[in-house]
Amino acid sequence: MVRRPEIGAFIVMVIIIVALGIASEGKAFNALGLKNNIAIISQLGIIAVGAALLMIAGEFDLSIGPMIAFAGMCIAIMLKWGLWTPFGVYEVTPFIAFVVTLAMTLGFGWLIGTIVVRSGLSSFIVTLAFWFFLRGLTEVCFRLINQNTNVSGLPDFKKESWFAEQMGGEVFGWFYDAWYWIGTKVTAGVEFTGDMSREAKIELINYLGFFNINRKMEQWVTGFDARLLWFLVIAGVAWYVLSKTQLGNWIYATGDNKDAARANGVPVNRVKVGLFMFSAFCATIFATCQVLDTNSSDAAKGMFKELEAIAIAVVGGILMTGGFGSILGVIFGAITFGLVANAVFFIPWIDGAWFRVFVGTVLLAAVFANERIRKRITGGI
Amino acid sequence: MADPLIRIEKLVKKFGPFTALNGVDLEVYPGEVHALLGDNGAGKSTLIKVLSGVHNPTGGQIYVEGKPVNFRSPRDAAQAGIGTVYQDLALNQLMSVTRNFFMGRELKGMFGNLRMDEMNKIAHDEMNKIGINFSDPTQAVGTMSGGQRQTLAIARAIYFGAKVLILDEPTSALGQKQQMGVLKTMMKVRKRGDIAIIFITHNEIHSKLVADRFTFLSLGEVIGKGTKKELEGDDIRRLMAGGAELGDLAAELATVTG
Repeated sequence: MVRRPEIGAFIVMVIIIVALGIASEGKAFNALGLKNNIAIISQLGIIAVGAALLMIAGEFDLSIGPMIAFAGMCIAIMLKWGLWTPFGVYEVTPFIAFVVTLAMTLGFGWLIGTIVVRSGLSSFIVTLAFWFFLRGLTEVCFRLINQNTNVSGLPDFKKESWFAEQMGGEVFGWFYDAWYWIGTKVTAGVEFTGDMSREAKIELINYLGFFNINRKMEQWVTGFDARLLWFLVIAGVAWYVLSKTQLGNWIYATGDNKDAARANGVPVNRVKVGLFMFSAFCATIFATCQVLDTNSSDAAKGMFKELEAIAIAVVGGILMTGGFGSILGVIFGAITFGLVANAVFFIPWIDGAWFRVFVGTVLLAAVFANERIRKRITGGI
Repeated sequence: MADPLIRIEKLVKKFGPFTALNGVDLEVYPGEVHALLGDNGAGKSTLIKVLSGVHNPTGGQIYVEGKPVNFRSPRDAAQAGIGTVYQDLALNQLMSVTRNFFMGRELKGMFGNLRMDEMNKIAHDEMNKIGINFSDPTQAVGTMSGGQRQTLAIARAIYFGAKVLILDEPTSALGQKQQMGVLKTMMKVRKRGDIAIIFITHNEIHSKLVADRFTFLSLGEVIGKGTKKELEGDDIRRLMAGGAELGDLAAELATVTG
């Protein structure tokens, strides 16, 4: 347990995968089920990695959700109304809209981090203030510029912009192509006939679904949501940095005992400010994928996402007090949460609100487990 | 006799109207343990903090290997070869021994990656050189005994170039057996011959066990100094009590007990 803090998260994840597979009669993991599950897992995972690194360094970020809404608002407004400059209003590409938005969100991340390290105040209260500030600012901007609390019906930029396709489109098409190719071999000879009963047809449709074949006997799903790519990139980089680099050692040292870290020459404040900016970066990626996928944005986007990100990090074995945890655990936590959040779509008889009941229960259990690990290491047990 | 590694002349430190150090002289030689003794408030802590660059002296001069130095930060002092091991040891309990050993001074490869195997080996070897039996540099510091942690902090300071090792009451928070381990570690460092140890302590017995030279502070002034041979046991005890005659104390106690 001490060497492998993610083992608990791994066990919970396996239980959920098996339970969901049985309860949904496998539909959660057919071609479309897997795509939809991976989409929400990636979405949650992107922000959970940002929240987790910050928690390992001993700080919280409650402004993730509002940061998502703010970034989404910026991109959508810019795409619809253009970018105001002193020289006039210019139309912008999705990439330019992203870069300008990122400059603003990183600025906010820097501001939050700087206030926390300079004032010595709890990051809980500072980021709570920014929760309100950014939520309000987002809605005000929407109303002032768009006379509405959302932007919808943007043109589909994915066809013309490579960047938009990489953020809001599909990736790893080869995976589903291969799935379909294997499926055609396995199901060769199977076909719909006129004398089949309704039940027999539904059964056959379900069967073909596992081989990525739709009811017209064509390829059903063509790729994963692009979010998966960004989740893999962000999680991969975070894992490497945390476990293999000097910066990773500094992040652990900062969260464990910042005075000891400082005494040994670790630039504690720079680490913290940098991680607040990284958290804002993750929120911006989340929002960019969302806007370019749905071609819309709304002031209520990202609601509760900061709490879900923190919950995933804790379930993944990150200590609330900082200094301990691994990215692998966060990935397991994101998979568990994503599957449970989506379960209602695959199990018709279940009430979606059970998701929160589950989260509450697992969160409490995880906090106790993490605390036990901490005490074991620091000599309490 | 060898030249002193550190020579302090007439060191004065004032905090506003309060004089913490009032003209302290101190000489520290390589291969020796120099015990710095005194009651609470005698100025021991202030003296270490000036030596390790935390405080600027108000007056007087510090020489390292004969050259006058002027520390503006703890970093300056560390670069001049003064390694301070504070009571809290500046260790992170949840991190591994190696990660603590190299904290802030990690060995990096070409892509900013840590050279973990090399670091594990160095941490293991350096600790075994001066310490007790110790095998696993990947274990968390929180799972180590107090004595092992002290060894880690000392090994780290030496590896990163400390010529003068300042140990701030290294035995005070430990049990009897752990205390003996730390004293043994100190003697192993002393045996190397090139490192001077300044040993701050309240404990008269410990200082007599390991120290070659003694300096007694009271109210910011040196009230006695000398080598082990020059000072007899009774002298040490008298000076430890801040110079008050033990006889006086006996008389005072007699009036209390009636």
